[in-house]
Amino acid sequence: MRKIVAVLVSVAALVGMASAQTFVWPQKWTVAKPSEVKRGGTIREAVISDYRTFNPFITAEAGNVPSLLAGPIGLVRRDPTTGDWIPYMAESWSISPNKLEITFKIRRGMKWSDGKPITADDWIMTWRIHTDKAVGSNSYDSFFLDGKPITLRKIDDYTIRFIYPKTDAEAFSVAGFVPWPAHIFGPVYQKEGAEGIKKMWTLNEKPENIVSGGPWLIESYRPGERLVLKRNPAFGEWNKDEAGNPLPYLDRREIRIVKDTNAQLAEFLAGNIDVMAPATVDHISQIRQAIQQGRLDATIKVNASPVASSQFMVFNWNKASDPFKQSLFRSDKFRRAMSHIVNRQAVIDIVYGGLGTPMYSSVYPVLTQWVNPKVPKYEYNLQEAAKLLAELGFTKKDKEGFLVDSKGRRLEFNLSTNAGNAQREQIAKLIVDEAKKVGVKVNFTAIDFNTLVGQLLSSGPDRPFDAIIIGLTGGGLDWPFGANVVPCKGNLHMWNKSGQCLDPRETQLDALYSRGRSELDFKKRVEIGYRMQEIEAQLLPVIYIAGPNYHPAWNNRLGGEHPDAIISSIWGQRQLELTFIKK
Amino acid sequence: MTAYILRRILYLVPTFFGATFLAFLIIQLAPGDYLTQLELDPKVTPETIARLRSQFGLDRPIHEQYLLWMHNLLHLNLGYSFAYQAPVLDIVWPRVVNSMVIVVPSTLFLFLVAIPVGIYGALRQYSLGDRVISFLAYIGLAIPNFFLALIFMYLILQVYFRTGVMVFPVSGMTSSGFEQFDPWKKILDIAWHAVIPIIVVTTSDIAGFSRVMRGQMLEVLSQDYIRTARAKGLAERVVVYKHALRNAVIPFVANIGGILPGLISGAGLVEVVMAWPGITPLLLDSLQQQDLYMVAGFLTIGLVLLMVGNLLSDLLLTWVDPRIRYE
Repeated sequence: MRKIVAVLVSVAALVGMASAQTFVWPQKWTVAKPSEVKRGGTIREAVISDYRTFNPFITAEAGNVPSLLAGPIGLVRRDPTTGDWIPYMAESWSISPNKLEITFKIRRGMKWSDGKPITADDWIMTWRIHTDKAVGSNSYDSFFLDGKPITLRKIDDYTIRFIYPKTDAEAFSVAGFVPWPAHIFGPVYQKEGAEGIKKMWTLNEKPENIVSGGPWLIESYRPGERLVLKRNPAFGEWNKDEAGNPLPYLDRREIRIVKDTNAQLAEFLAGNIDVMAPATVDHISQIRQAIQQGRLDATIKVNASPVASSQFMVFNWNKASDPFKQSLFRSDKFRRAMSHIVNRQAVIDIVYGGLGTPMYSSVYPVLTQWVNPKVPKYEYNLQEAAKLLAELGFTKKDKEGFLVDSKGRRLEFNLSTNAGNAQREQIAKLIVDEAKKVGVKVNFTAIDFNTLVGQLLSSGPDRPFDAIIIGLTGGGLDWPFGANVVPCKGNLHMWNKSGQCLDPRETQLDALYSRGRSELDFKKRVEIGYRMQEIEAQLLPVIYIAGPNYHPAWNNRLGGEHPDAIISSIWGQRQLELTFIKK
Repeated sequence: MTAYILRRILYLVPTFFGATFLAFLIIQLAPGDYLTQLELDPKVTPETIARLRSQFGLDRPIHEQYLLWMHNLLHLNLGYSFAYQAPVLDIVWPRVVNSMVIVVPSTLFLFLVAIPVGIYGALRQYSLGDRVISFLAYIGLAIPNFFLALIFMYLILQVYFRTGVMVFPVSGMTSSGFEQFDPWKKILDIAWHAVIPIIVVTTSDIAGFSRVMRGQMLEVLSQDYIRTARAKGLAERVVVYKHALRNAVIPFVANIGGILPGLISGAGLVEVVMAWPGITPLLLDSLQQQDLYMVAGFLTIGLVLLMVGNLLSDLLLTWVDPRIRYE
């Protein structure tokens, strides 16, 4: 949200149209005009892992069935062209003067797929069940702010109020949660409680019993093989394109479960699946070749954007048993020198086949609004690294050519990453080679993922590792800093888990994090974010490396993709509701 | 005989407890648990993870978890999958059935093809035919299943690019729109999808099996009693099939016990590569996620079938080999 005022103006505009009770999907979200659109047809997709449940309250994996059925539904949603929150199932909202309460007016006339109206009760019941500890919902944590609950209150059937324990930059993100039908879940929850909810909507449930408020319904599911979704006509009653046609245009989505990406590629090349996001250079070049040789009528956008994930090397500040290493890892100069030995361009060329993006701060490069362009970058520069290490007293080399200090202690550390992640292993080997050039001995081992996580998240004054290469995903557009990562007591404050801030700049970051999280003005929040990135760059709590890029591809039988400007790993290649089959 | 069978069943009890406990222990010895994956998610608090861990019972000592699981097993409940939040059997069973579509025909083919091929190789040792078959068998042994599957997929695609004809499907078990087909078309559709996986699985098995068969036959054919049989003027057919073959198959009958669990344990990596919705991809996922009861439950089914299979094959041996008596 850039400016509350701007949003309120657009709200007013939508309220004006609200007599029709429809949400009109803006033309600028697709390249196709309503006049060229054809109705009907099936889009064929593939996913890597099988589905585990139809139950929205116990589902945990990304791309789960409930989220497919629901699509964009929620009181608010984001406009992909601006990133702003816009009213969706709500027709408007008002914010209380103390900014702790948001009251939403719910759009009238929306119905569940079984014909029952969608009202405030549905949100209340969904929130109740998500926040019941015994249910074990994955969304549980999102309804709490610093351990204090966010509460919902029904004002009347079409008015609902969210009450926050403190002002929150992510307030709308919380309010945008997907509602589920109270008339289905409510009676079970009242009678049997959490245990009753957990038994509902398993994969064996008959598709006709699954009720959805979103664009899709389940048509059929074959375990391990295929999920077929069909259009929910009730959704089309309040979702229209600019010409007034009900959405989605498609009749069906057919999602095949294809575990092996080579098999996915083969199916895409054979024209049996319509969309794909190839991740390796080999796959990309095969698709390009097939297109060039006229064997496949498809489009691929290479390097559309970086992916929303980070890849970094973290040094352990808590090594009481080895004071030499501990003081080394806590030294700015050492960490800066280590940033200078990371050859990010080589990582991109060798590990990502030239299709990647270097990283210098905790904000993913794809979040362009948030990236501070002026942040100092300690790029690949071996001379600079050698100079910094010399300033730390490492001037002489021993017989094997590694740096030693005046007491004869060798500059050496252990580096590990999770075994089986070929890309991280390659990155580690590049670092070992470059470190050797300046005289630093790096002993690399690949270890089991769970062991690695155990070491990384251990706490106390003495932790069992030197340096680890790992990555994180999941950072919001509202406030891209991790609630578990930045605060010194955070569970993912990986470099220092002594339970307190050791460096004054950590304290500063901790304070700025809280300030930003409770700042409602987007511009001011970005300023705080910029400041945090500057401090991060000086402190270098972790050394960011590089990440792969996003390369969406689709068969040209599909129309209605995003305009180029908004094709990215954040917004994807298209709105499925606006997608249609050309031929 | 009845006494023998009863005694054998009695022996199975400690074996069962020993094997299940070992399986359970080994899964638990792996570092971390099902919830470790969640720990790197910046949105999940440590309190939530601790709460889930106690809900799943993962915070209790291993022997307690094992006893609880055993208690459920004795009530014919294999356990509850963490990932699916559903009973293990409900999830595993449809996948096992899918796998059987490949495994049952390929097991049949294996016997139908490998035994005659092995016999032929032994009777015409070092003939041109034997050499050709040996050569192919070594190739079959050398190429891993999943790789052979990839080669087939590549060939299918190349044929498709050149002719526009899809000879066999690239992957999967059913075509799109399968639900609307009539029953006959459904069967034909699955059969069409199953051809390549069955060929892939059978090829490498035939290779090994026929080599062993050939070796067994050669050994038996050089025995004194075969020379005696020939000397007393028996027809060659009788010598080979009645005297030699019956002795040569004894080791295979002893191994029949392994076929039973083999029927449910899936066709292996072919299923992953060719997107066949069998048990292998499911089991691999469960192993990766450390979905404890899914893995342990499935191992238990296999264990029971192996024990029953071994008993059966021991009983079959008395029928094939009159020298064996259980008293």
